[in-house]
Amino acid sequence: MSLNAARIHEVEDDLLAAIDYCYEQGWTDGLPVVPPDVKRVEEMLLYEGRPAEAVLASHPATGLECTVHAAAVNAVMAGCKPEYFPVVVAAFEAMNEPGFNFHGSTASTGGSAPLLVVSGPMIDDIGMNADVNLFGPGNRANATIGRAVRLILLNVFRMAPGLADKSTQGNPGKFSFCIAERARDNPWPLLVEDQDYPEGVSSVTVFAGGGFCNVENHGGNTPEQVLGSIADAMANYGSITLGQSVVVLSPEHMRIVAGTGWSKRQVQEYLFAHACRTVDGMRSVGKFRQREYDKQHDNGGTSPLVEDGKMHRGLSPDDILVIMGGGDAGGHSCFIPSWSRERLSIMQSKPIGVCIDCD
Amino acid sequence: MQLYDPTVAGPERNYVRAAALDSLEGKTIGVLENSKLNAADMLHEIAALFEQRHGCTIAPVFSKKNASAPAPGETLQAVAKDVDFLITGLGD
Repeated sequence: MSLNAARIHEVEDDLLAAIDYCYEQGWTDGLPVVPPDVKRVEEMLLYEGRPAEAVLASHPATGLECTVHAAAVNAVMAGCKPEYFPVVVAAFEAMNEPGFNFHGSTASTGGSAPLLVVSGPMIDDIGMNADVNLFGPGNRANATIGRAVRLILLNVFRMAPGLADKSTQGNPGKFSFCIAERARDNPWPLLVEDQDYPEGVSSVTVFAGGGFCNVENHGGNTPEQVLGSIADAMANYGSITLGQSVVVLSPEHMRIVAGTGWSKRQVQEYLFAHACRTVDGMRSVGKFRQREYDKQHDNGGTSPLVEDGKMHRGLSPDDILVIMGGGDAGGHSCFIPSWSRERLSIMQSKPIGVCIDCD
Repeated sequence: MQLYDPTVAGPERNYVRAAALDSLEGKTIGVLENSKLNAADMLHEIAALFEQRHGCTIAPVFSKKNASAPAPGETLQAVAKDVDFLITGLGD
């Protein structure tokens, strides 16, 4: 597809009328969009080095393809500034990895939303929020990057609610679910450093997440107390599975945990060891599956921390992504469960705006 | 004002229905289960009805490991060689 081949709609030179036109075409997520004016789209494209017709992602069942151009059109509609576009591009490249399974995680009754976690210097470069009200409104970059991903799913891949998106209840993150990892006062290596990208590179990690679960603990003053409450949330009967997890520690909780010298690895191991239920307990709510138990316990277990007679969340401590984010005040961390009950979607990451080891 | 269309055209695909079988009598039935909790049990029950009512033979069960992704092309090609018709379903 060349730029000229993209279909152009001539509309009245009236912004409000153009917004209404976008509604009439079925191009929105229910909120008003920025009309994808040709000039704005072309400005967006200046931030991607590849040709407009380059394909970023393909739908495995329908064969629909998201080109750089289509992504740019939807990014404009979401309200992105051009400098945000590399994050949108990298996010969709990550979602296009087969292990992420963007078709399944979007179409499923499970109602997941792709959570985007941005890590590295790009956060400050484009003004993302890693601080107060991390998951909430108020920051253009966070809000519109996440929204652009949803609009691409809706418009390019036609994964519309009730048609190809059969979410039973969905979750609010399906409007936008994009956060930044907080670097300020963070005692641990950043996620992007753990991912071994070259210095100066930023990354986006995508995770097919279920709903947001706040973990409140203002009374705990030790790592075990704080992490014990998070592990309990991770093991709640409604969400314990073999799937992966994202945990965002608030700075207040981080001060308690890391202030006593705990490393990120220790936290992952503690959470994995304690986010578990007994087999009898799982049976009591009708959720025990021998096949899942065997997968976790056979051949000595998927981790030395796996206990006989218990079902843990995930397969090993590596399945728990732990970062810091949010405002200084408040004993509020959060846990986000995986959409997948097993291993049907595995989180993926990509560098932003650079090509590493590319052909 | 000129607006770009945010949708894309789908690929040209020439879908055709498989020719219907003349009869179910004595045919070989395939079962493609998708690893969902009750899929294999449900599909076996259905296949058994074809066996009882139409004298069908049930072929070894084929599985796909990811219920939410399309069956791999190799799986479908392998199934097609061994069976006259196939049943599949979610079984959650």
